[in-house]
Amino acid sequence: MNPINEFVREATRRQFFAGAGLKVGGVALASLLAQRGSSIRASDEPASSNAARMHPPLAGLPHFPAKAKRLIYLHMNGAPSQLDLFDYKPGLAKYFDQELPDSVRNGQRITTMTSGQSRFPVAPSKFAYTRCGESGIWMSEMVPHMQTIADEITMIKSVHTEAINHDPACTFVMTGSEVPGKPSLGAWISYGLGSESNDLPAFVVFTPTFPKDSQAQALFTRMWSSGFLPSKYDGVALRGSGDPVLYVKNPPGVDTRDRRIMLDALNQLNHTNYARYHDPETLTRIAQYEMAFRMQASVPELTDLSSESQATLEMYGPGVNEPGTFASSAILARRLVERGVRVVQVLHRGWDQHNRLPKLLKDQCLDVDQATAALIKDLKQRGMLDDTLVVFGGEFGRTVYCQGKLTREDYGRDHHPRNFCMWMAGGGIAKGRTFGETDDFSYNITENPVHLNDLNATILHCLGIDDRRFTYPFQGLEQRLTGVLETRVITEILA
Amino acid sequence: MRLNQLLPCLLLLTFHPALLLADERLSFNRDIRPILSDHCFACHGFDAKKRQADLRLDTAAGAEADLGGYQAIVPGNPQESAVWQRISTDGDDVMPPEDFHKPLSENQKNILRAWISQGAPYEAHWSFVAPVKPDVPPSTEGNPIDAFLRQRLSEEGLQPNPLADRPTLIRRLTLDLTGLPPTPEEIDAFVANDSETAYEELVDDLQSRVTYGEHMARYWLDLARYADTHGLHLDNERSMWPYRDWVVRAFNQNLRFDDFTRWQLAGDLLESPTRDQLIASGFNRCNVTTSEGGSINDEWVFRYAVDRTATAVEVWMGLTAGCAVCHDHKFDPLSTKEFYSLYAFFHSAADPAMDGNIAETPPILRLIDESDEAKMAALRRQAADIDQQIEQRLRSLDYVDPALLDPQPVAESIEEIWFEDGFPEGANVESSGGPPLQLIAPENGAVYSGKLALRRKADAQIAQDFFAKGAKLRVPDSGKFFAYCYLDPEDPPQAIMIQFHTNAWKNRAVWGDQEKINFGKPDTTEKVHMGDLPATGQWVRLEMEAKQLGLDAGTEVSGFAFTQFSGTITWDHFGVAYQVDKAKDPAWSWQVFVEQGVATIGKRLPDALRRQLQGRNYDQWTVEETEQVRKLWLSEIYAGTQSVLAPFKASKQALEQEISAIEKASPVTFVMADLKKPRDSFVMLRGAYDNPGEQVQRGVPAFLPELPGKSDGSPLNRLDLANWLLRPDHPLTARVTVNRFWQQFFGNGLVLTSADFGSQGQPPSHPELLDWLATQFIADGWDTKQLVRRIVTSHAYRQSSELTPEQLARDPDNRLLARSPRLRLDAEVLRDQALFVSGLLVPAVGGPGVKPYQPPNIWEPVGFGNSNTRYYKQDSGSALYRRSLYTFLKRTAPPPFMSSFDAPNREQSCSLRGRTNTPMQALQLMNDIQHVEAARAFASRIILAGGKTAKQRIEWAWRVVTARQATEPEVGIALAALRQHQSRFEQDANRAAELAQYGESSPDPDIAPEQLAAYTMLANLLLNLDEAVTKN
Repeated sequence: MNPINEFVREATRRQFFAGAGLKVGGVALASLLAQRGSSIRASDEPASSNAARMHPPLAGLPHFPAKAKRLIYLHMNGAPSQLDLFDYKPGLAKYFDQELPDSVRNGQRITTMTSGQSRFPVAPSKFAYTRCGESGIWMSEMVPHMQTIADEITMIKSVHTEAINHDPACTFVMTGSEVPGKPSLGAWISYGLGSESNDLPAFVVFTPTFPKDSQAQALFTRMWSSGFLPSKYDGVALRGSGDPVLYVKNPPGVDTRDRRIMLDALNQLNHTNYARYHDPETLTRIAQYEMAFRMQASVPELTDLSSESQATLEMYGPGVNEPGTFASSAILARRLVERGVRVVQVLHRGWDQHNRLPKLLKDQCLDVDQATAALIKDLKQRGMLDDTLVVFGGEFGRTVYCQGKLTREDYGRDHHPRNFCMWMAGGGIAKGRTFGETDDFSYNITENPVHLNDLNATILHCLGIDDRRFTYPFQGLEQRLTGVLETRVITEILA
Repeated sequence: MRLNQLLPCLLLLTFHPALLLADERLSFNRDIRPILSDHCFACHGFDAKKRQADLRLDTAAGAEADLGGYQAIVPGNPQESAVWQRISTDGDDVMPPEDFHKPLSENQKNILRAWISQGAPYEAHWSFVAPVKPDVPPSTEGNPIDAFLRQRLSEEGLQPNPLADRPTLIRRLTLDLTGLPPTPEEIDAFVANDSETAYEELVDDLQSRVTYGEHMARYWLDLARYADTHGLHLDNERSMWPYRDWVVRAFNQNLRFDDFTRWQLAGDLLESPTRDQLIASGFNRCNVTTSEGGSINDEWVFRYAVDRTATAVEVWMGLTAGCAVCHDHKFDPLSTKEFYSLYAFFHSAADPAMDGNIAETPPILRLIDESDEAKMAALRRQAADIDQQIEQRLRSLDYVDPALLDPQPVAESIEEIWFEDGFPEGANVESSGGPPLQLIAPENGAVYSGKLALRRKADAQIAQDFFAKGAKLRVPDSGKFFAYCYLDPEDPPQAIMIQFHTNAWKNRAVWGDQEKINFGKPDTTEKVHMGDLPATGQWVRLEMEAKQLGLDAGTEVSGFAFTQFSGTITWDHFGVAYQVDKAKDPAWSWQVFVEQGVATIGKRLPDALRRQLQGRNYDQWTVEETEQVRKLWLSEIYAGTQSVLAPFKASKQALEQEISAIEKASPVTFVMADLKKPRDSFVMLRGAYDNPGEQVQRGVPAFLPELPGKSDGSPLNRLDLANWLLRPDHPLTARVTVNRFWQQFFGNGLVLTSADFGSQGQPPSHPELLDWLATQFIADGWDTKQLVRRIVTSHAYRQSSELTPEQLARDPDNRLLARSPRLRLDAEVLRDQALFVSGLLVPAVGGPGVKPYQPPNIWEPVGFGNSNTRYYKQDSGSALYRRSLYTFLKRTAPPPFMSSFDAPNREQSCSLRGRTNTPMQALQLMNDIQHVEAARAFASRIILAGGKTAKQRIEWAWRVVTARQATEPEVGIALAALRQHQSRFEQDANRAAELAQYGESSPDPDIAPEQLAAYTMLANLLLNLDEAVTKN
């Protein structure tokens, strides 16, 4: 046997099994990796200060000091009605059942679900609005708990998108492109910033349960996929039933000790193999098996809420102890970012109210309102809100004109990409601010439009990333999350 | 495509040492273009709109143009060249500008300076110039591939590795050619074969297996973006698998790659296309489609055409056309107009904008097998016999037109009975809400007429007797329905209803408390309230106008129902009454019928005949036309024959149903077809579907060989495009193709960016080798098996993959191939290997996608409520153990065993999969039920076939997994682990039994569960070895 190889083998083995074992192994491994990258590109190689991390950041990132270290994105899938939640239009009452003026609609394209309607009667919101907190942000009675966090958030009333239907719009809001195949926001961020957790994935996704009666649109794994980035940046779904993380449980009859026996043998044999081929990829594999083993412990610990105080659990509201609910996802989101996970995305379905909006919207809000407010308060009480960015919103808005039958008590609304509301809170975001304005019909933006690309640029900015410089070569282009056109960081909403 | 391993800068350094030798001749394509492309072309390139300062550096003319007293480049004189001044300055006007964030390195500046000094010679981009077959360098190696590689290696002072040992070699080759590992017997035979051509024999053997085509197809299906669902919104199932099976067949039959190309791009346009050629054309139909409510059709017609264009351009030309959808390509000379000229080839596709959420979105091809064809032919003959008999009846008919009689007959009232003593002949009668249909005779209760009546008693619920298929009735002109009913005075119902079925249950009459029967929307023809309940204890005649119920004259009624809520009712003598004035009725008078004119009678005529007669009165018809219409009238409309012909028609209908049942059961595949009248195509400004600019004609980019118009003046089509791609002087097709096959075996292509041969792509590591392979491929008649054979018989492929520290330092990315690459096996191969060594693999070839083990809640949390792929219904039995190629692929939620190992979700074309190494993969290989069950089955084999002692068994199993003998220390480590597992499972029989029983297949009852469990852990260990999951 080659004496040099033999030396490397022995050295590695000694380090690997020495002392605290795994952690030390990680360091040894990283130093070997630093000589020559594993399966990643040269530029992916860990900066030396991050050598011990499983998910190191890209060299040179963040581009500048970040206000937010992590992101929790609450996506309300199906398009919540801005008119019934956040975009207060008291003047609409007098237009009840009157035709939407042509000067407002201005010949804009509408979906083929209502383009055949003979009338476009105005449907004022039936819900009462309140000015909330000291900031006086308007919110409707549908979200009584969110009303209590008004002073923590910036409400953006002028977000707009290009897509008019769910599939392309969801793909756009999450990947910056209507055409499938691009990496999701979370994948971009975990690619750029890595993660501080060695025991959990960098990017975690929840798809919580939703009201049974609701009009749920489909989700697509492309909304958390890595697209053309390496697939290790895929969001990992934390599931409400079955294994919380796929395959994290040992098969029936196999316990941790059995797994450890098997893994010890596997590590030794893989080191032997490394001595034969000297393939750095083998060392990466050894480390990944060790991380898998740690996840087998860290995931159950994560999902075990017994260490949470009763007060905290109550704050998130009913359902918090029921795996798979929005409330449970919200508290787990906090536990994940607490443990160093970079991005958590919660995709709650059922917000597509083409008819029976008042009743169905109420069900939706009952599902998310309390836990969403609790998440903000909980982060705040732990001192984490300052460096955690929270985003709340859907893929587009809903029309002021009624779809289907209109009464004072009952109405429906079609898709409206021209303006909708989203709010942001935490790391880097101003407190208690409202930004952007729409006309009296919530049909057109009258000031400070925020294109979704600009919103994403702003999210990246809060995380210390300059979206223009954050690229990945694919199909002959330096691809960006925010596309090829100019973008603008919305500095007006920054703290 | 996914491309995760773009060339690191290290490589450029390897090739172009920082110290530039004064006399080194620089090549524009190799040395200069990559720098200009990356740092300058975005603002000074081909895209005229984004061009700054009116300067372009992508052509010599642009670089040397007079910019008002100075030039960007003065050949031979860097000091006078504005380019050099601007890149070498420290001032604010430095190029590239600071905010471009792509500064030039000192080395790059030096290279540019040296190039200008050398006269700044430009070259056309290498891949846009047709390859010329280079001479093979002199070499002792028989395979020209090695001659080219060796030349380069010796320039770099590197030595190739020696040949790999035979066990490593047979495992590598068998995995690469069939996607499965070799058996111990095959290994033994190969090791023992001392023939000089042993290796070549093995290649031949493997290429002749059906598993070869299965494995080769897999790579192509990534490019074709093949899947089993539509991909957007509902993501419903799509029937496309015959295309997948055709790709397997094409590789196994070694279909020439030129035909392989032609058939897929334009199989439908070939002369009298064969079934396979049509199936192949489905390549163009593999794109994702939608049927989302509210979508705007033009947008999707546009998007599908863009997808098809970009896919064809990527797959055959290795170019990234997507950029030019919105603007002129910044880096390659592809204008937006040229993109849309290519797009025009695909823009007239005949498939609808909305896929309809059905599995058989037209145009489709139904694949009826031979025995079914024969069966259908026999059925058609029988149907023809019946036609004959009908015709005979009609011939013997002595028809006198009542309108021509003098005096004309007076109007008469007719009652047509629909129910008497039972439902109509053939009706498929059903009942609900109580016991089956009960027909009573007079001795058992009231009967109004005939022999029997229908009686039903209901508890406090809806009950009914009805049919919805098997018999058809027609609503006459001004018909009035009637029915007799008898309500039990002791137990009267609360509501009664008569319902009619046309294409659905849509027309109803109700008496009494209508809310009790919650069918239909009240106050519409779906639910017409006729009044209170009739009197009890007597027969009452109920009447209802057909029109009032929304049943127009001529409507075909395919069923009716007697419905009630609670109580007891008897129904009898149901039918329709109408007036017939035979002399004025088109159903009785031929003259009256034809006088109505074609506009009215047209809907009763076949389309072709209707079009033929359009606009002409009956007295202008030819004799043949009149005869045709009259025959149709007599058999289909004339009321005097309908009852006589009814039984014949019923039998014919039965035959037709049988034929269509066979058809429906036959597989369907999407095929390509163009609209008869092509769509006009336009440049879509900024890529917006609703913003057409200049109109374009079909054509190809100017920087590539010409595609002249056709001599007969007919428009160019996809077949012309395919033939143009296959021109021997086309610079891209053959290069792109051989490069991708190279990549399949070596992990990386000679051109690393296998989907981008443009100027943003990487230049080839071995340009002459690439050109030699491409030209030889064409010279061989585009023979794919031959190409593969040439690659795998090279020394480069057969050499060892052991890596020395020197190699790692000198050539970390293995671009020079002084060693064989070590690559992690692909998703499908990993699963198939586990099934294969376990003996579970079911080698059946082809057929619809199967649904093997999948954890719960992969489809469900994302699926749309109405989607037919919302719930994953796992198969059982042999379908669990088919090759992974046959796994059902749902694009919006692909199987985790695929996605976690970098398989694309097939939403778009993929030229190269990533090769990541993650903890999720480790968890899956250790814990996924399919891998654990495979380990258990493998454990049984180890115990039964591996020998008597634990040591022998480990040695045997090791060889099955890795193909080589285990070393003593290796056996020792595995044995120690096995001993520990044994002792632990012996202490806990319950755990052993649990593990031994995991999975659907049953464990071998003759093996003690403790043993089986311990060996399962051993098998699990072996299948997780780095060596097992890697091609060595």
